[in-house]
Amino acid sequence: MLACVVLGAGAWGRPKPLSEPSFDTAEVLYRQGLLPDGTSLRGERQGAEPIEGQAAACANCHRRSGFGVEEGRIVIPPITGKYLFRGSSNDAAQMAHSGSEALSPRRSRYSSETLARAIREGIDPDGRKLDYLMPRFALDDATMSLLIGYLKQLSTHPAPGALTDILQFATIVTPDADPAKRDAMLDVLNHFFGNKNAFYRGDDPPLQRERRIHFRVLRRWQLHVWELSGPPETWETQLQKRFKLEPVFAVIAGIGAKTWGPVHRFCESESLPCLLPNVDLPVVAERDFYSVYFSRGVLLEADVIAARLSNEASIATPPRIVEVFRGGDIGAAAAQALAAAVGNTVTMHELRSKQPARELAAVAREAAGADALVLWLRPDDLKALPAGVSLAKNVFVSGLMGGLEKAPLPPSWRGAARMTYPFDLPEQRTIRMNYPLGWFRIQHIAVVDERIQTDTYLACSIVAEAAGTMLDNFVPDYLLERVEVELSHRIINGYYPRLGLAPGQRFASKGAYIVRFPDPADARVVADGDWIVP
Amino acid sequence: MKGPSNISANVRAVLMSLVAASLTVWATAAEVVVPPAAHHQASAAEETADPQDALPAVTRSVVNYPVPAIRLVRDDGKNVALIDELNDGRPVVLNFIYTTCTGICPLASHVFSQLQHQLGAERDQVHLVSISVDAEEDTPARLRAYAQQYSAGPSWQHYTGTVAASTAAQRAFDTYKGDKMGHTPVTLVRTAPGGPWVRFDGFATAAMLLKELHGKGQITAAVSSTRP
Repeated sequence: MLACVVLGAGAWGRPKPLSEPSFDTAEVLYRQGLLPDGTSLRGERQGAEPIEGQAAACANCHRRSGFGVEEGRIVIPPITGKYLFRGSSNDAAQMAHSGSEALSPRRSRYSSETLARAIREGIDPDGRKLDYLMPRFALDDATMSLLIGYLKQLSTHPAPGALTDILQFATIVTPDADPAKRDAMLDVLNHFFGNKNAFYRGDDPPLQRERRIHFRVLRRWQLHVWELSGPPETWETQLQKRFKLEPVFAVIAGIGAKTWGPVHRFCESESLPCLLPNVDLPVVAERDFYSVYFSRGVLLEADVIAARLSNEASIATPPRIVEVFRGGDIGAAAAQALAAAVGNTVTMHELRSKQPARELAAVAREAAGADALVLWLRPDDLKALPAGVSLAKNVFVSGLMGGLEKAPLPPSWRGAARMTYPFDLPEQRTIRMNYPLGWFRIQHIAVVDERIQTDTYLACSIVAEAAGTMLDNFVPDYLLERVEVELSHRIINGYYPRLGLAPGQRFASKGAYIVRFPDPADARVVADGDWIVP
Repeated sequence: MKGPSNISANVRAVLMSLVAASLTVWATAAEVVVPPAAHHQASAAEETADPQDALPAVTRSVVNYPVPAIRLVRDDGKNVALIDELNDGRPVVLNFIYTTCTGICPLASHVFSQLQHQLGAERDQVHLVSISVDAEEDTPARLRAYAQQYSAGPSWQHYTGTVAASTAAQRAFDTYKGDKMGHTPVTLVRTAPGGPWVRFDGFATAAMLLKELHGKGQITAAVSSTRP
């Protein structure tokens, strides 16, 4: 099934496979700038101090995929064997990325000898100097051959799910997901895939020349819906089994409720790009690479509330706070994050009763003298808040959990509440929202959950755009690198004022508003202060 | 499926070439010392017989940039006016960076680090200013960590702020390129408040900046400017 896209081997023939220990050593050199003896790689530039270790690693500029990137007018060229060892070419099937190729100078093909000279002395095969940005590396012969061996095989392995005429994708549904939201998301995905394939010309032969580029790049898209069952501990294994049965190139969207960790771990362990818009409690792990989220969700909300509390002059430091959440729901993690940020004057209240009206009334009484009461609650619990009680000085409501402006707060609470709102304000996003909403209308998609459907549509668009710039190089790491770039210069971002990623950045939207309801009787919200980036 | 504002990669490539071309024209109109940076250095560096001696091709121009009223957040968390930061009486060396940038910025920050070192006893008489072009990601805490990575001394400050403020600062110095990935290497030097800015397009070395600070920039001829 995977035997399809072995890309044309260059003049250098098939790469000699590196043995496993050599491969690992070479990868550490390429990605982390550590030499086989454990010392730091050292790069030199004329007139500048040498750079060492991580700062000197090839992957810094040329990226993990080796396909390089453009930065302004500077093109960091691809350095996979396929490009180095081929001559200058107009053949799109041999290109890395249309932008970088258009700006790259023509050059003759490298040999292992001229490549070693380029790395050591900064001279290309035609005797021209490489750009100043490229340092020189005094590698010994053994290390040089290790590195060149690594470059020869880099990004040559056929990616799972990327076939000659089809790209396979998956979306993931956890068993605790709300069925209505699940269907709303799938409706968007199915229409997007259907649309994509409506342009597909299945009878065309694989791309041979650049004039046929469109046919080659527009592979048919196929969606697999991976529905999980049982307890979260079993999800990772279930996903691995599905992945083996149905190899996919990437995961687009997905929907859960309380737990997302197992899905995140699956994406990382399988090196599978996962663009995950609909996750309100993502996994925050600095070094993780494959899972991309639109924001830090409720953890972002917690930091925004903490930032507001620390800026409010009328609030004591540390503030006395009461937080309410349901055990097992995502609010528990958010409550802990907020408590960690503000100190030990926080009272946590875990809601237990199915009919929580009395419990909530008791909490409200307890919180009446506090600086803030923070509600990490879903709509059903918000509905049960007691009317006619005196409230804490500040009441914060999680917009993500409560349902944003539609949160069913009793009027007395709505008048007092401040709500975290990690999106652009409704009236400011109107024009941006015309794009997804117009598309839904054209597609006859019922808008059941506007945010989930818009975010899912946005995720599909981003993957389509990123994949569209990859030409024939369907390499998982490269997809993520292209997603970083494409997502960062979009303007039509649905609910978000802007999105941005970069190496090491995996949460695209960084801030939130705190909003209030000027009229307790309706759902209109206004900003209570500026956009906060905690 | 694309929004109209998403320019395709091909169009962007062409646009970038145009930008490159127009910058060349602009540079010729200014006080050009060396032709602007090209991918491979063209005929400019050519007097360097030994390519091992390759120094970056840098365009030096003198420009008046009025400093607009912008408030930024300094890496110590303090909200400051850009104009006060620039007009503290000291010469200023300014660049634009972002902390997760892997290509251009590490080199630019290295150069600042080296400049700081080469200034020696004069270090604290020169204000090094690095403004983030990825303001929302680069919180003061992240900037502090980044500064530490480059051993920034007390006279080298990093700045962030709102996206609007960062954009306004980039526009003020004609370095705004739409998004952070579009940035180009630019270093600005001003020896005294109220004076003109000397703008280096390309990878200015610490030695070039030092020479400029010592007031020798004007008299450096083409050759000496490439070979400080």
